[in-house]
Amino acid sequence: MDGPVWLTGIFAALMLTVAVYCAGRLAVTRRWRRPTELDTDAGHVLMGAAMAGMLVARLRVLPAATWEAVFAVGAAWFAWQLLKSRRRAPATWRCLHPAPHLLECGAMLYMFLVLPPLTGPAAASGIAGMGASATGSRYSFLALVMGLFMVGYVARTADRLPSGRTADRLPGARTANRLPGGPVAQSNLPARPYLAPRCAALCKIAMGLTMTYMLVLTL
Amino acid sequence: MSQSLAVRDPVGRPAAAHEPVAALDPRRMLQLALGALWLLDGMLQFQPAMFGKGFPQMLAGSAPGNPALVARPISWSAAFIGHHVVVLNAIFAAIQLLLGLGIAWRPTVRLALAGSVLWSLAVWWLGEGLGGVLAGTASPVDGAPGAVVLYGLLAVLLWPADRDPADRAPADRAPADRAPADRAPAAPFVAARAVGRRIAQASWLAVWLGLAVLALLPASRAIGRAIADTTPGEPAWLAWIDTHAASALTRHGLLAAIVLAAAFVIVALGTFLPRRPARAAIILAVVVAAVLWLAQGLGGILTGSATDPNTGPLLALLALAFWPLSAPARSAGET
Repeated sequence: MDGPVWLTGIFAALMLTVAVYCAGRLAVTRRWRRPTELDTDAGHVLMGAAMAGMLVARLRVLPAATWEAVFAVGAAWFAWQLLKSRRRAPATWRCLHPAPHLLECGAMLYMFLVLPPLTGPAAASGIAGMGASATGSRYSFLALVMGLFMVGYVARTADRLPSGRTADRLPGARTANRLPGGPVAQSNLPARPYLAPRCAALCKIAMGLTMTYMLVLTL
Repeated sequence: MSQSLAVRDPVGRPAAAHEPVAALDPRRMLQLALGALWLLDGMLQFQPAMFGKGFPQMLAGSAPGNPALVARPISWSAAFIGHHVVVLNAIFAAIQLLLGLGIAWRPTVRLALAGSVLWSLAVWWLGEGLGGVLAGTASPVDGAPGAVVLYGLLAVLLWPADRDPADRAPADRAPADRAPADRAPAAPFVAARAVGRRIAQASWLAVWLGLAVLALLPASRAIGRAIADTTPGEPAWLAWIDTHAASALTRHGLLAAIVLAAAFVIVALGTFLPRRPARAAIILAVVVAAVLWLAQGLGGILTGSATDPNTGPLLALLALAFWPLSAPARSAGET
């Protein structure tokens, strides 16, 4: 049961766009001295590349085992951040809400571990060529739970996405009180505007929707 | 709609530095849950099975038994979709995604909720054959009166308007309304804020008493068979639950239908009770919705052929919209 190749191609293109854009954020954040969540952006670069490879087999750049190790490390990092965030607020360069990113890493691990390797006819169409029976459905409830979490996360992120008018009115919406990785900014230092917050939120939404799509395909 | 606020974290960094945090009132939470369900629906619509001939055949299957006036448009639209299934299915999925995102993004919430109502009515007719209500085949275990009509009802009940000024956020109130002020919400539950208590209660009664009537119809008495029909394609653990439930209920179909109908009636009357028993009735409604969802095989989501999660989650969401607000808040609002 194959899904349309053009659909997985669109999602793969979206993921590559997110990965390239987040790589760009990482590149300019220090030069422009604009704070961003480095771990979130780095995670999106890796996830975007990995998901594009899962969606379209020709875009695979690393073997599955390598990706599994990468996302295991990512999951450990965000789990550690989650534990730390209960005690004190994170620095500006770390993500404010680690739980969704922990779940994203978990979902990536799930998909790499549960789905069979892309070989033979399935390799042409990527994850869409595997159909519903590929996983054996043994852990499909886990995929459903993660998918439900992801749509909830997307909805909440979109809820926080400000319109232009609102964003300008919100106190603190355009500035961060800390410099990247540094202590709290002194009052005589100019506050640095956060790096493209709306684009960052749109990346999270795109990532969440694509991940939900892929999880639904594994049900 | 809730007032947007920026919140600072303990070390002084605005939590809203990159994500302006908006306050979530109970109605906004329910709106977001509705938006998330639309997003899930959109993704389910993108499943590979929906791009094949099975999808229009499933739509056409809702026509038989309905009056000709209802059935003919269903057959026509199913045939039309069958000729352009790939393009139209992609459009349907995109519409549902846009509805979900539109509800979640505050500037477009009204537009998306209005779109939800129109889309729900169209799909209820052309996609679900009015839930089989007119065909005499409707059973709550099968998903009657249709999940999609509940989306429309929720969109109306969660409409971002307030009949009573006290329910509005302080900044949204007219100056004349600010004096009694900052009194607490007058609506007894979230669903009453936009349409008023009577209309909300009438819709609640219509849903749950309607379910009670449907549960007693001859088609609903074969509960065991209805549950067993959901098992093909399910994962082993869910099929095991449904198979055992089906075999246990096969011999006691009438009794099970009566018990189910009684539970629906108790729930239906719940919103007219004082706060504590009303809350118990809402909890019962959520439990009944969960049991129904399990009997529906989680709406067939795990089979790869579902277009929505069926009525279970929608009924639970509807029940939460009728959760009685605290007594002090209500009495203050009613003065």
